[in-house]
Amino acid sequence: MTVAELVDGPLWTVALTVFVAGVAWRLLVLIATGWKRDLSHPRSGSLGGAIRGVVGRFLPSQGMAGRLRLHLVAGYLFHLGLFALLFFAAPHVDFYRDRLFGFDWTPLPHWAFILAAEAAFLGLLMLWLNRVLNPVTRLISESGDHAASVLTFLVMLTGCLALARSHETLRLLHFFVVELFMIYFPFSRLMHSFTFLLSRAAQGAHYGRRGVRV
Amino acid sequence: MPVDMNLFRGFVEQIRQLPAMAQPTDMPDPDRVRAAKAVFADKLDARLASHLDACVHCGVCAEACHYYVQSGDPRYTPIHKLEPLMRYWRREKGPFAWLQRLITRDISEQDLEDWQPLVYDSCTECGRCSFACPQGVDIASMVGVMRQALAKAGLIPAGLRAVEQEQGSRGTVFGVGGEQLMEAVEALRARGYEVPVDKEQAEVLVLSSTLDILLFTDALESTVKVMNHLGVDWSIHTCAFEGANFGMLSGYEEVQKAASERIIREAIGCGARVVIIPECGHAYPAMRWDAANEHGEPLPFDVMAISEFLGREVMAGRLKLKSGQRRPVTYHDPCKIGRHGGIFDEPRAVLEALGLEVREMPVHHEMNYCCGGGAGLFLIDSAKKNRDLGFDLKREQVEATGASSLVTACGSCRLNFLAGADRVHWDRGIESLVELVGEAIDGPGGAS
Amino acid sequence: MNAYGLLWGLLLALLSTAAQAQNDTPPQSGIWIPNPGADLWKAVRQRGQPEPSTTQVQGLDSNQLINVAGEKFRDWRRERFIRYAAYLLAGVPVVILLFHMLHGAMKLEPSGRKLLRFDLYDRVAHWLLATVFLFLAFTGLLLLFGRFVIVPWLGLDAFSPIASASKEGHNLFGPLFLVALLWVFLRFVARNLPAWRDIVWLLKGGGAFGGKHPSAGFFNGGEKLWFWSLAVFGLLLSLSGLLLDFPSYAPSRELLVLALVVHGAAAVILVAFSFGHIYMGTAGVEGTLEGMRDGTVDANWARQHHDQWYAEMVREGRLEALSEAQENRAETTTGQLEEGRT
Ligand code: HEM
Repeated sequence: MTVAELVDGPLWTVALTVFVAGVAWRLLVLIATGWKRDLSHPRSGSLGGAIRGVVGRFLPSQGMAGRLRLHLVAGYLFHLGLFALLFFAAPHVDFYRDRLFGFDWTPLPHWAFILAAEAAFLGLLMLWLNRVLNPVTRLISESGDHAASVLTFLVMLTGCLALARSHETLRLLHFFVVELFMIYFPFSRLMHSFTFLLSRAAQGAHYGRRGVRV
Repeated sequence: MPVDMNLFRGFVEQIRQLPAMAQPTDMPDPDRVRAAKAVFADKLDARLASHLDACVHCGVCAEACHYYVQSGDPRYTPIHKLEPLMRYWRREKGPFAWLQRLITRDISEQDLEDWQPLVYDSCTECGRCSFACPQGVDIASMVGVMRQALAKAGLIPAGLRAVEQEQGSRGTVFGVGGEQLMEAVEALRARGYEVPVDKEQAEVLVLSSTLDILLFTDALESTVKVMNHLGVDWSIHTCAFEGANFGMLSGYEEVQKAASERIIREAIGCGARVVIIPECGHAYPAMRWDAANEHGEPLPFDVMAISEFLGREVMAGRLKLKSGQRRPVTYHDPCKIGRHGGIFDEPRAVLEALGLEVREMPVHHEMNYCCGGGAGLFLIDSAKKNRDLGFDLKREQVEATGASSLVTACGSCRLNFLAGADRVHWDRGIESLVELVGEAIDGPGGAS
Repeated sequence: MNAYGLLWGLLLALLSTAAQAQNDTPPQSGIWIPNPGADLWKAVRQRGQPEPSTTQVQGLDSNQLINVAGEKFRDWRRERFIRYAAYLLAGVPVVILLFHMLHGAMKLEPSGRKLLRFDLYDRVAHWLLATVFLFLAFTGLLLLFGRFVIVPWLGLDAFSPIASASKEGHNLFGPLFLVALLWVFLRFVARNLPAWRDIVWLLKGGGAFGGKHPSAGFFNGGEKLWFWSLAVFGLLLSLSGLLLDFPSYAPSRELLVLALVVHGAAAVILVAFSFGHIYMGTAGVEGTLEGMRDGTVDANWARQHHDQWYAEMVREGRLEALSEAQENRAETTTGQLEEGRT
C-alpha cells in the first residue's frame, strides 16, 4: 500500500473511529459521574439558568471586557474563522459530501474563505503567543495545551499550503495532519468544543436555581 | 452608630492570638493524601467533572480575581488553585485515567501543603472568577472542595482551625455561647426591649452571631427592634443562635453539619416557618443551600438572610421606614449573599425606602468585587497582605461612586472594611443595612 | 549594539554595487546576419511599429505575446538580483559571526532588581510580527532561491509542491504582516521618535568607536533605525505585496514589475537587517531577550544600554515600586507562609 492509499484509506477510518468513539466515551464518562441532587429549595428554575449559561457566556461579563481585550479579539477571530473554514470552505463541503454525509450545502465564496483563514491564523497566533507570554497562562499551561495549539495550527497551515489544489502531496499532507488531529482530539483539551456546553449549562443551572444570572 | 474602634482593635488583637490556641492535627503523610483524595472522590459529580474537563487554561479567571488584579502574581490564578483536584480527576476518575496516569503526576503531601496558602490565604471563594470564565467553570465551588480536602488532611490554617475546633468541640465561637447571648439579651431588656428567648413555638427563628454579640451589637438590637416592630412571632434560642459556621469556612464538613443540624433541630422543634440569618455572609449559604443536602431531605422551613427579609417586608409594604436625609451611598453585595445567593434587589429596595441615593460601583451585582477578607481570611494571619490588597481595590471602587458611605449586609465584609479604613484613615462611612433600618423605626417597643 | 553600524555600511556597499551592475551595457556584436524569422519575431515582440493586435481574452496586456520589458526584468532578477541578494544574505551572518567571535557577547551582571520594559501587548505584538515575518521570509526565500538551491538538490518534482505551498502560504500570511506591522508601529512609535542622541549613538556605532557606551533613551539609535527601516520598507513590502496578490487589479504591467522589484529589494534588506536584530536580541547582548519574553529587564541591563531611560525610571520610582511588588510575591511563597501556619 502506498502512503497515499494509507492516508486516504485505513488511516482515515482509524481517525474517524477514534474521534467518534473517543468523544462519545469522554462525554459518557462525564455524565455517568452522576449528578448530585440538590435538596435545597430552588429560588428559580435551573433550565432557564442553563440556557442563559450557555448563551450568556459568549459575551464578557460586566466590567471584564477591558481586561480581556486580547482574549476577546483573538478568541473570536480564531473561533469564528475556524468555524467558517471547517464547515463552509468549498473543499471541505466537497469532502463532507463525498466522504461523509452524501449531501452538501452552499460553501463560502473564495474571498470569504480566504478572509476566514486570515482571521483564524491571526487569532490562533495571538492566543498562542498570549499563552507563552502571559505569566498567568505560562504558569497554568501544560504540554497538552501547546500540543493542541500546535496541531490546530498545523492543520490550518497545511490546509492553506494546499490551497492551490494542484498537488496531491500537499492535499495528503493536510489530510494526514487532520487525521492526527482527530486522533488526538478526544484525549485533549480540544474536547472543550463539546464540553463547553456541559460546563456552561451546569454553571447556569447551579446559579440559576439560586436566582443568580451568570 | 459607628463601631467603637478601640473595641474593634481589641477584637483584631484577639484574632491574632488564635493560632496559639489551635490543636495540632498531625497525621502521617500518606494519610493526609488519602484523606484528601477521599474527599475529591466523594465530591466530584458530573457538574464539577464537566467544569474540570472544560477548562482550556485560557487564564481569564485571573483577570477576575481581586488578588491577581492587585498583585499581578500568577499563582493567584483561580484555576491554578484547583490543580491537585484537576490532577486527581484526570488520573483517577476521568475518561482516560489509564492514559493520564502515565503522564500526570500523583498528588503528594507536599502538594497539599503547597496549596494551603492558595486555597485559604488567597481565595475568598467570592466566585467572580466563575462568572468571568468563558467556559462557565465554577471555580469557586471547587475551591470549596479543595478546602474540604485540606481540612480532612489536617491542613486548615491555624487561626481558622482554632475556631473550627472550638465550634466543633464546645459549640461556642470566640467563647460566645448561650450565656453570653443572655448577657446581651439582658442588656437589651434593660433598655426596654422585649426579647423572646427559647420560646416553645415561634413562626420565626432568628439567629445571631458572635460578631453581633461582641462587636456589632447595634445589629442585634436593630434586628430585635424590627422583629418587634413588625409584630412577628419570633424567638431566639440559646442553644442554636450562632449563624456563623466555621466548619463551612474551614472546609471541615462534620463541624459544618453539626452546626447546621443544631439549628435545624431547634427550628423544627419550635415549628418555625422561617429561619432568619443575621448579617453574616457565609451563614446564609450554609443554611440556605448546604444544610438541606447535609440533612438529607428538604428543610420544612424557609431560610432568609436578614437583608432579604427586610427587603421583602419593604417591597410588600409591610415595613415602613422613616426616610432621613437623602445622601449618596453605595451598596456592597456580600459575595455569599449576592453572587452565591441571588439577593440583590431586596437590600437596594430597603436603601431606597430609607430615602438614600444608591450609587452603583463600577462593577456591581453579580460582578461586584469581594471585600477582600471573606471566607475566613480574617482569621488567617498570613492572609493580612491579601486582605489589604482586596481592600485597596474595593476602596477605589467605592470612591469612584462619590458616595460618602458604603452599606453592606455582612459582618465579615464589615470587618475587612473597618480594618482597611483604620489602616489608611479612610473617610467613608461603613454601615450595616439592618442597623440603618433599626435607626429608621421607632423603639424600643414591645410587639405591637 | 555597534554591529548595527557595520551592518548598515555593508548593506549600502552591496546595494551600490548592485545598482552599478545594472547600468552596464551588454557587449555589441559586429556583423549583421539577417535571420529569416526575424520579421515574425519583430512582430511578435512588437518592436519598431507594432501592428495592432487583438484578442478575445480580457485582461491586462493580454493582447501581447511577449513582453520585452518583462523579459529584461526576468534576466535582471535571475542574473543580478538573486545573486546579490544571496551575497547579502550570506554575507550578513558571516559578518555577525566574525563580530561575535572578535567581540563576544555584551555581558550583564544581574542586579536582581527588575524594571518593566514591555507589557503583554508589546510582547504579543512583537512576536506576532516576528512569527509572521519569519514565515514570510522563509517561504519568500524558498521562492527566490528555490530554483537554484532546491531544484539541483531535490529535483523539479520535489520543488513543484514546495513552490506551490510556499506561494500559497506566502500569499495568505502577507496581509497578516501588514496587520502586525501596524500594531507594532502604533505601540512602539512613541518610543522611537528620533532624538539628537540617537544620531550620536549611530555615529559612534553604538560604542564601537569612541570607547564608552553612548547614551540612549528607551530605544537606542540602532533600534530606532531598525524600527524606521521596518516601518518604511515594511510598508513598501506590504503594499507591493498586496498589489502582487491581486495582479488583475493592477493598472499596468510596468507597475507590477516595479512592485516585484520593490518587493524583492525591501524584503532582502529587511531580512538582512533582521539577522542583525535577532543577533542583538539573543546572543549579542545578554539580558535583552528577557525583556521581550517576560516583560522585565534587569536594572543593570537598563543602566548599561539605556542610561537615560534608566534614570527616568529611577526618578519616577519605578525601580522601587516593582521591587516591592516582587517582594510581595516572594513573601507569599509557600516557604514564607509557613510561619502563619504554625
Ligand atoms: C525571532 C527572533 C527575534 C528576537 C529574538 C527578537 C528580539 C527582540 C528583543 C529582545 C527586542 C527588545 C529590544 C530592547 O529591549 O530594546 C526586540 C525589539 C523589536 N523587534 Fe524583535 N526579535 C526577533 C524578531 C523580530 C522580527 C522578525 C521583527 C520584525 C519583523 C522584529 C521587530 C522588532 C521591533 C520593531 C522591535 C522594537 C525595536 C524598536 O521599536 O526600536 N523582531 N526584538
